[in-house]
Amino acid sequence: MLARLLKYEIKATARLFLPLYAVLIIYAVINRLINPFYTLEIQGSFTFQTIFGTLSIIVYFILIVSVFVMTLIIIIQRFYKNLLGDEGYLTFTLPVNPWQHIISKLMTAMMWYILSAVFVLLSNFISIKDIDLTTLLNLIKSSIFNASFLILPILILVQLASNTMMIYDAMTLGHLFQKHRLLASFAMYCVLYIIQQVLLLILILPLSRGIFAFIFQSSTPTPGQLNSFFIFLIIPGIIMTAAHFAVINYILKRKLNLE
Amino acid sequence: MSNLLECRNLSKSFGPVKALNNVNLSIGRGRIVGLLGPNASGKSTFIKICNGLLTPTEGEILINGHKPGIETKKIVSYLPERNYLNDWMKVSDIIGFFSDFYQDFSKDKAYDMLSKLGITASQRLKTMSKGTKEKVQLILVMSREAQLYLLDEPIGGVDPAARDYILDTIIRNYNENATIVLSTHLIADIEKILDDVIFIREGQIVLNKTVDEIREESGKSIDSLFREVFKC
Repeated sequence: MLARLLKYEIKATARLFLPLYAVLIIYAVINRLINPFYTLEIQGSFTFQTIFGTLSIIVYFILIVSVFVMTLIIIIQRFYKNLLGDEGYLTFTLPVNPWQHIISKLMTAMMWYILSAVFVLLSNFISIKDIDLTTLLNLIKSSIFNASFLILPILILVQLASNTMMIYDAMTLGHLFQKHRLLASFAMYCVLYIIQQVLLLILILPLSRGIFAFIFQSSTPTPGQLNSFFIFLIIPGIIMTAAHFAVINYILKRKLNLE
Repeated sequence: MSNLLECRNLSKSFGPVKALNNVNLSIGRGRIVGLLGPNASGKSTFIKICNGLLTPTEGEILINGHKPGIETKKIVSYLPERNYLNDWMKVSDIIGFFSDFYQDFSKDKAYDMLSKLGITASQRLKTMSKGTKEKVQLILVMSREAQLYLLDEPIGGVDPAARDYILDTIIRNYNENATIVLSTHLIADIEKILDDVIFIREGQIVLNKTVDEIREESGKSIDSLFREVFKC
């Protein structure tokens, strides 16, 4: 059943994401042809071409930002409409357990986060000519240290999952209210955010002389320190994700009240 | 065999408003039951609780011995009073969706009914009128071999000419061991197909009898009895 849910989940969201990626790639190809980065580099004086080049780069960055913003909006909207809106009347009469709905939504969301990042990177490679891959990789490696090369992406994924689940959780909790459910969802997000920050602080403070010492001493961390710092942050991320999952599952299973 | 649907001391409150107030009810197999009451009498609330879309405040409901959950969802086919379909989907997409999730769904039956009502499967729902969408939903719901059909206002939004066809569709497309619960306030239209009648008012059951009992005892049609009971 989970495989089938995923299939329809991807189908329903792909029709929104694919055109978004198509626009990004087409624009990157156009950028490659007119090459605004190069134009700006060689033109010393203020010409029509520099204006055009600058504009084109600004539009490109707006496009990149909107891809990420749209990714988040589509993911939030899908959860809200498909589970808590009118579509929920069908979703919740399917012979499927609520946890499967949550997992299918989260897995699809993670897939689109990754794909959005991949397409933005791809559009970078397309729009900038003569990009030097080895220099780029070296740059990434030197900026986050060799040791964190694998840990950091995992940390980012865990953080994305836990934040997504927090948004899902806020909407589900907001739905427990009789009235003003959207407003209640925003309020719930604030509450969850504060709880999370407080818990994190409680966790970090006792370790201020240990793993987090470099933050409090504002010294440059060694690669080893940074690595253990990242690993340590992954754990609360996983715990928060699991906690949100438990709350959402309980409400959808035992306290569901669709409008 | 036990009753198909059993509910005990069922209550549902929305804040201070009691939508259902201590409802006790048994519905057997192989019946066509009219759940009749004025607007906001608790009909939809009852049906939504049966489907697990609402959680009761008190009491419990058992369908085939199970509380609403995965086991009951397999055997209950539900027509809500609203449109729950994705507008961007084609009819054929939705038929695929239903047959993927419901083991008792018959594609042949669905396509057969679609062609009889002149609806093309490649059409997108976005381009359909409200009445046509309702027909598509009813076709989907009746294409299942369910044990219990819960139809909330199935004829509310369609014209009188299509009503007869839809009622006909309902009767022809269920097996005799299955039960249909129909909620409506358009009594005259459905009177002829009912076996049992439940009158509901302000969240309470005020009458629960077979159509024959009503005719024998009062000598009235259900429509005129309804008007009498619910006189304003």
